[in-house]
Amino acid sequence: MNTIAQIALTVLMFGSLFSVLTLSLNLQYARGGMINFGTVAYFAAGAYAYAIVTQEPPHGLDQYLVGLNAPWWAGFIAAGFAAMAFAFLTGWPTLRLRGEYLALTTFAFAEMLNSLLVNERGIGNGTVGLANVERPDAAILGLSENLVYAGAAFLLMLATAYAFGRLLASPYGRAVDAIRDDEVAAEAIGKDVARLRFQVFVISSIPIGFAGALYAMITTLVNPDLFSAEVTFFVWIALVLGGERTILGAVVGTMALVGFQEVIRAIPFESVRAAEIAAAAEDIVTGALFIVILRWQPFAALARRRHSA
Amino acid sequence: MSRDLLVIDKVTKRFGGLKAVGGDAGLSFSVPEGTFLGLIGPNGAGKSTTFNLISGVLKPTSGAVILDGKDLSTARASEIASYGLGRTFQTPRAFPSLTVLENVMVGADNEGETLLSVLRGGWKARERALRDKATEVLRRVGLTERINDVVANLSGGELRMLEVARQLVRDPKILLLDEPTAGVDPSLQAKLSRILVDLHAEGRTLVVVEHNLHFLLQIADSVVVLQHGELLSKGTPSEIKADEKVIAAYLGADHAA
Repeated sequence: MNTIAQIALTVLMFGSLFSVLTLSLNLQYARGGMINFGTVAYFAAGAYAYAIVTQEPPHGLDQYLVGLNAPWWAGFIAAGFAAMAFAFLTGWPTLRLRGEYLALTTFAFAEMLNSLLVNERGIGNGTVGLANVERPDAAILGLSENLVYAGAAFLLMLATAYAFGRLLASPYGRAVDAIRDDEVAAEAIGKDVARLRFQVFVISSIPIGFAGALYAMITTLVNPDLFSAEVTFFVWIALVLGGERTILGAVVGTMALVGFQEVIRAIPFESVRAAEIAAAAEDIVTGALFIVILRWQPFAALARRRHSA
Repeated sequence: MSRDLLVIDKVTKRFGGLKAVGGDAGLSFSVPEGTFLGLIGPNGAGKSTTFNLISGVLKPTSGAVILDGKDLSTARASEIASYGLGRTFQTPRAFPSLTVLENVMVGADNEGETLLSVLRGGWKARERALRDKATEVLRRVGLTERINDVVANLSGGELRMLEVARQLVRDPKILLLDEPTAGVDPSLQAKLSRILVDLHAEGRTLVVVEHNLHFLLQIADSVVVLQHGELLSKGTPSEIKADEKVIAAYLGADHAA
């Protein structure tokens, strides 16, 4: 029973955290029509910014150059700014690209950032990363750490869903939809397509930065391995799984995928070999699920049926 | 004589080596304010290309397009639209994820579409006024019953009406319609004709590309005829009907068929 509660709490924590990424991707892709295959980079920018702002200045064997020793909330805000700044930097030259070209460019940007973090040790100790990342003391609230961080992730998810929901329900959201549907027609009614796309791209990256900060608090570690392209694909699978275009779908898809992985991890395997097989099976099943959904598009078919009804 | 609202000044457009519009000398004509100008010509005469050059979808190779004194040479299509030029497309373009009403509402230049306005939350009152205006425009084009429908359910003719409505809600200074009667049944054509005559009577400036000469020559007050991207003739509908060159190039072929 205790294990089930623990699994549920972990699913809530990481499910909520990654839902923030899925929600942002939902805004960028399902509503804004932009394929971002570099989601992890904005996440990493947030996590590293948080760690750098809150950690102590370097001493001893540290190779990193900057540690501001600022309080956690300053790091959290900095994380949002860092992700936003990275979106500015990457969005400006790329957003005139369409479809797969944008996907490739954003992917390349994310790989560049990863490579920079690995090789430029002055940022975060290279492959070693930054350990013992500062975090607020959960004990002040008299609750277990897991519960506090699960709650924080859940709140961040709710705040993101609320903010994006409000944005999309406004005339602004209607213009964004129009641009995704037909850029030429949107231009013909005076919509500045480039400006709106850029804004959506930058806005949607801010919560990803916050999520990165929270992730650094939860794991107390940031290193380049944690921010590989796998994170991006995980979020994409979650979005496809939950069905595009709805906020609830993005959350449900992410929760389901995180839940699936946590359940597999919780199985008490007798041998290391069995655990290895289970881990491989988990990846294969996730991949197969993705292919099935893409190939037969059950959700898109449902949506079409609803539309033509 | 009223002032020229739109001036096409020695405009040429080449795709690679192909002279699509304007030949060597360039295409020139002007549209005085309040005119109902018909733009006609056989297939491939460059009518739609001319529209695209005016509305900024394409940029002229040389020459200038001037709207209300503003040179549009470097303006983007969205800027040209906000200067007061409205247009529809040869193949109707609608926003399929929006309802009919939303398709029209999104047409307005809306201060509620800025991020600041979303943060302030003050867009709701404006939204009500816009909804009323869009509803009125939809009534005018006869789409009242379709107001909450998805655009996938509209017929080709209704889609054209929707495009007109989406432009009317913007109150454009000049409205360019690209083949508004193509694929539209006769009863809807009659309605469209009435709407255009009304708009003209209100003092609006209209430029209409049309294959259906019977439709156009009845309601336009002046006509420009293009052939091979160049100006073949211009005048009043009765002058055009009597013009030998036009009959040979266009009407002659029609009559022979």
